[in-house]
Amino acid sequence: MQIRFLAQTILAGLLLATAAQAQTVTVMGSTALGPIVKKAAEDFMKSHPGVQIAVSGGGSMTGLNQVTSGGCHIGISDVFATPEQDKAGVKNHNIVVQPFTLIAHPGVGVKTLSAQQAEQVFTGKISNWKEVGGRDQKIVRVIRPESSGTRAVQKKAILHDHDFSKDVLIQDSTGAVVTAVATTPGAISFVELEHLEKNKTRIAAVAYNGVACSNEAVKAGKYPVFSFGHAYTNPAKLADPKVKQAVDGFLAFILGAEFQQNVLKAGYLPVDYVKSLKTQL
Amino acid sequence: MPDAPETALIAAPACRVGDSADSRVEANPSARTPTFRQSRAHRLMDRWANLAFLACSLLVVGLIGGILFFLASRGLAAFLPMAGNTGRTLAFSEVFLSADWAPSSDRFGILPFIAGSLGVTGLALLIAAPTGTLTGVFIAKLAPAWMRDLMRQVMDLLVGIPSVVYGIFGLTVVLPLVSRTWLGEAPASGFAVSAVILAVMIVPTIVSLSTDAFESLPSSLDEGAQALGSSRWQAIWHVLIPAARPRLITAAVLGLGRAIGEAMAVQMVIGNNPQWIALMRESTDRAPFLRALFTPAATLTTELVQELPNTPAGSPWNNVLFAMGLLLYLMTMVLILATRRLGHRKEA
Repeated sequence: MQIRFLAQTILAGLLLATAAQAQTVTVMGSTALGPIVKKAAEDFMKSHPGVQIAVSGGGSMTGLNQVTSGGCHIGISDVFATPEQDKAGVKNHNIVVQPFTLIAHPGVGVKTLSAQQAEQVFTGKISNWKEVGGRDQKIVRVIRPESSGTRAVQKKAILHDHDFSKDVLIQDSTGAVVTAVATTPGAISFVELEHLEKNKTRIAAVAYNGVACSNEAVKAGKYPVFSFGHAYTNPAKLADPKVKQAVDGFLAFILGAEFQQNVLKAGYLPVDYVKSLKTQL
Repeated sequence: MPDAPETALIAAPACRVGDSADSRVEANPSARTPTFRQSRAHRLMDRWANLAFLACSLLVVGLIGGILFFLASRGLAAFLPMAGNTGRTLAFSEVFLSADWAPSSDRFGILPFIAGSLGVTGLALLIAAPTGTLTGVFIAKLAPAWMRDLMRQVMDLLVGIPSVVYGIFGLTVVLPLVSRTWLGEAPASGFAVSAVILAVMIVPTIVSLSTDAFESLPSSLDEGAQALGSSRWQAIWHVLIPAARPRLITAAVLGLGRAIGEAMAVQMVIGNNPQWIALMRESTDRAPFLRALFTPAATLTTELVQELPNTPAGSPWNNVLFAMGLLLYLMTMVLILATRRLGHRKEA
C-alpha cells in the first residue's frame, strides 16, 4: 500500500511539474466573444503544445477589470476600455468585426428605415409604425440594459448619442430580445447579424438607409453599423517573458489570415474587411 | 452529581463534555459498560466534535457577517471617498430621493427600483395572502383526508420549483395571453403579470404555513363554536382565523420575504424599464393606476441581476448597485426580524 501511495505521489508530482513547464495564458471577459476565442485557443494549442490557454466568461467589464489589475493575461470585450483603464496602460487589439442589424416583429409592415427614422424611432419622436409607412400599430422598443455593449453600439451608431426614449422594454440577453420581438406585435430591436440569421422564421430584418445588413455590404463599405471585438492586454503586468511570448503568439494567431477566415463561420467578419473604414465602436 | 446512580451516568448524553464527565468516570470506574465506554478516545472525539460544531456555526455566522460587511463597504463607497473609487462621490439625496436613473449620463436615482420592489411585492402579497390562507383553512379543516394528503404533497412540490421555470411560463404563456386578450396586442410586461407570477410562487409557502397554523389550533375551538350554533363559515371567520392570526401573519411575512428577493422570474416578465416613474409622470392617461399595472418597470433585484456583471468596479455606477444590494439585504433582515417578533407575540 505504501509503495503504491508513494508511486502515486511521485506520478502526481511529475504531472504537476510538466504542467508547470507549459505556459498558461488566462483569457477572461465577454461571453459573446467567448466561443470564437475558445476555438482559436484550441487551434493554437494544437500547434503549440507547450502553451495552455484557459478561456472563461464573466462579461466584458469583468475582462477589462481583470486585465487592468493583472488578474488575467488577456481581457476580451465588446466595448472599448474606460478612460481610467486606458490610463492604466491597457493595450487594445481589434480581433473581429461584429455587424449589427435592426429587427422587427414580422407584422409591422416596414422593410427599411432611413438613418433619421431609425434614430427617431428609438428616441421616441416616432411612436407608431404608420408614421414610417407601416401598419397603425404602437412601436414597442426592445433594448438591452444600460451596461450592455450592444446598447452602447446602438446608442452611438443609430441614435447618434441621443438618449433612448423612456418608453422601452428592456431584456437582459440577445436571446431574450429575439424572443420578445418575435412574440410582441409592433416590436423593434437591434441585434448581432448572426441572431437574425438564426431566427429568420420568427423575426423580420429591417434595412438601414435602404441597405440590408450582410457580410458583403459591410465589406463593400455600404453598411456602417458594426463594432469590433476587442482583446486587451496589459504590458505592464506581463513580466514573465515566456508568458508574454505566448500571449503575443496567440494574438498574432487570431489575427493571422488562416484564423480570420474561420471567424466568418461564427458570424463575425475578418478585421481587414473594414481596414479602410473608420469607426469609433 | 457525585452520588448520581450508575444508570443516570449511562443515560447522560455524550455531548456533555468537560471536566464533569472526566470526574464522573474517575469516581465510577465500574460505569465502563460495553455499550458506553468513556474511554480517552471517546472523550477526545467528543471534544473534537464539539469543536467541529462550533466551527461550523461560527463559519455560518461569519459568512453572514462577512457578506454584510462586503456589501456595506462596497455600497457605502458610493457616498464616501474611498480608495479604489474611480468616479465622483455621490450625495445620499441624489440616490435615494431621485427617480432619474441614467448611470451612463451620471444620474443615479434609485427610487424607481425601491418603488418597483415594494409595488410588485405588495401586489403579489395582496393576491397570495387571502388565497393561501383560505386554501390553508380548506386543507386543515374542510378537505377529506385523502385530499388533505394530496394537497400537502402538491404544495411541498410547488415550493421546490425553481423560479426560472415560473419566469419562462410567464414569458411564453402569460404575457402573450394577457396582451392578446385584454390589451389589444400591446405588450403586457409590468407590475400586473409580475405580481401574478410572484403570487403563484409564494402561495405554496403561505398555504403550508397556514395549514400548520390551523391544524395546531385545539379542536375545542371549532367544536365550541359549532356547539353554540355557528355555521361552518362563521366558525372559520369569527373563531379560527382570529385565533390563528399571529401565525398567519408570520406566513404572509415569510412569503413577502421570498417575493422581495426574487430576481429571475420577475426579470423575465416585468420589462425592466428603470425610467418607469418618469414615463408615468409624462403620460396623460385617464386611468393612471391601471396604466401603471401594464407599464414596463424595474425592481432592485432585476436591476442588480442585469447590470452588476457589466459595470466597472469602483465606478459610482457599480457602487450604487452595491448600495442597492445592501438596501435589499436590510429590507429582508427587517422582514425576518418582524417575523420573529410576530412569532414571539403568539407565545405571550
